Amino acid sequence: MDKKRFRPGTRRLVQLYAALLYNANLKGYIDGHIYTGNLKSVCVPGFNCYSCPGAIASCPLGSLQNALNAAGHTAPWYVLGILALFGVILGRTICGWICPLGLIQELLHKIPTPKIRKGRVTRILSYLKYVFLAVFVIAIPVWFGVGKDVILPAFCKFICPAGTLEGAVGYLQHPANSTSFFQLGAVFTNKWVIMCVIGLACVFCYRTFCRFICPLGAIYGFFNRFAVTGVKVNPDRCNGCGLCVSKCQMDIRHVGDHECISCGKCIDTCAQGAISLKCGKITLKGPEIGKNADPEPVVRKRKQAGRIAWGIAVAALVFAVAWFNFIEPAISKADVPAAAVTETQPPETTSAPEATAVPETSAAPEETAEPETTTAPVTDTSGLTVGSEVGNLLPDFTTDLLSGETFRLSDHRGQVVIINFWGTTCAPCVAELPYYEQLKVAYPDVEILAIHNRAGAKKAKDFLADKGWDHLDFALDSKEKGLLPLLNAADAMPQTIILDRQGVVTYNAQAPLTYEKLETLYKNALAH
Amino acid sequence: MERKKIFLITQSLLCALVAGLLAGIALYLYFEGAAKQAGGDLFYYSFTREKAGRALLIVLPVFAVSLGLTIAGLVLGIRDENADKPVRDPHGMRDAGALREKAVHQKATSKVITLRVAVLVLAAALIVAGILNGGLEDVLAKGAAICTECIGLG
Repeated sequence: MDKKRFRPGTRRLVQLYAALLYNANLKGYIDGHIYTGNLKSVCVPGFNCYSCPGAIASCPLGSLQNALNAAGHTAPWYVLGILALFGVILGRTICGWICPLGLIQELLHKIPTPKIRKGRVTRILSYLKYVFLAVFVIAIPVWFGVGKDVILPAFCKFICPAGTLEGAVGYLQHPANSTSFFQLGAVFTNKWVIMCVIGLACVFCYRTFCRFICPLGAIYGFFNRFAVTGVKVNPDRCNGCGLCVSKCQMDIRHVGDHECISCGKCIDTCAQGAISLKCGKITLKGPEIGKNADPEPVVRKRKQAGRIAWGIAVAALVFAVAWFNFIEPAISKADVPAAAVTETQPPETTSAPEATAVPETSAAPEETAEPETTTAPVTDTSGLTVGSEVGNLLPDFTTDLLSGETFRLSDHRGQVVIINFWGTTCAPCVAELPYYEQLKVAYPDVEILAIHNRAGAKKAKDFLADKGWDHLDFALDSKEKGLLPLLNAADAMPQTIILDRQGVVTYNAQAPLTYEKLETLYKNALAH
Repeated sequence: MERKKIFLITQSLLCALVAGLLAGIALYLYFEGAAKQAGGDLFYYSFTREKAGRALLIVLPVFAVSLGLTIAGLVLGIRDENADKPVRDPHGMRDAGALREKAVHQKATSKVITLRVAVLVLAAALIVAGILNGGLEDVLAKGAAICTECIGLG
């Protein structure tokens, strides 16, 4: 058996390394929460969903859509600068070497099936990604964001398979996020089917997503010709035989063009030794066989430098894993400021809400998760468990409202209280808030508190200025207040907690509500 | 038919079956839920953890067989050898000189270096401008909470 065939090459190891580094927050898979630290303000170069529990930084394409969506309020300079920086330094070397989605596609292509080879059709299809870039990443977000003030990152929402695979599957796999299943509908079904189709296509056709769909690759492609890093051809050695082009699996016209991902396969293919992978003047990989092969001492020196680089890289990875999993002080569910709590104390060991309402009009019991008490039962004087699950007594708390008044939960005993967690960057949250306003107008006795997520809270006041949601009480969360951890709110928004007149939780789920659902839930709580 | 060809075709069918089952079950659950909701059951959820678990049980056997065949194929070295053959003149670039000319253009001439420096300076300026105008905070705000619409929840 040829053992060499199973040995991963340098590029595969770098791909694996990048995937692990981008997703160094391994504890996210264990506790079901995403990383919320400051590093999320930086984008990684490759395609990696920022809603993945492991992700330590943001997705450049998601950030670009979000920035273009908000271009009416804030010019998208930051994300454009980041993309230009990555583009000019690395170009599409990012696609070939440090993109986790590229790795997944290549692994799928390893499945032994008949393969579709490149040709004129695939070459024409390769221009499709520019259509996706123009329509889904630029036109729709700008049109809806600037023109209609609607949050719509169209590529993320309707197509992105990384979001479905890394984000949705990564997040939903954790039992603590079971109620997020209730949000799944047409958008998820559409994205799931697209992911299955793309995955299947990748088995037969090399890097289907990368070649025909990926808008990020299209952006980096613009920089490829003058990027510092990439495969370069020595014109003095090239005899124009075209073997590099004909053996390449991408739809290139020549080595180093906008389709070239600098994977470096052509370096070994070229009999003239004309091709090498370079970073400026430094040769990262050069011809090692043939008449123009690099001299032995040069190759040895390069390998030695490579070993040192690997040593540094592995040390950095170990540090990153240790930092994000054990040291990083990003806000977590355990960071509940005691000052925010009054009267009752929350459970000592907190967990994400697993309970969900089972309204009287609900379907068969098996379709909804039954409330589970997973925390140590801390009870108040009435004998009820204090917590955020259905049937629990929600811990009392006090917070400042945007109106300048103070909200104290226990002051509203005798009223149905609805607590909604939202964010200005969350499209479903913004879409459902008018229903809460409508409910408050129709039933003035209900108390509705909308708490804005910690991230981006500074901009919430400006955002609310012209919305006309005057009947709702708005509060902003902060790291100091720690309202979301106190009430055991999940990372996914929107989330709604409904309390009956005794302060007992009757509904708690991460799902957007329609007015009809909200009214039904309110009436259920009232009758409780 | 050659054994290798049968193997490759069987594996293709299994892959298609796995993808088809995953997509088909999702579509079935969605349309079933939509019909019940249209019938007035507001709180009927198309997808739940339990339903996802049952769906996985249907797909897993096919997936396991496909995975087994993949491992066997990789160990035995069974693959579509046509995939390795060079594509002849894929894009009509018959002129050998054309490829060499492209290579000359690619050389790090002073023009290319100037362009690189210009883009680097522009990128740095854009990043600084973005930090000053709050763009950095916007990226953090989006990344620090689950982007529900990004992952198909919203």
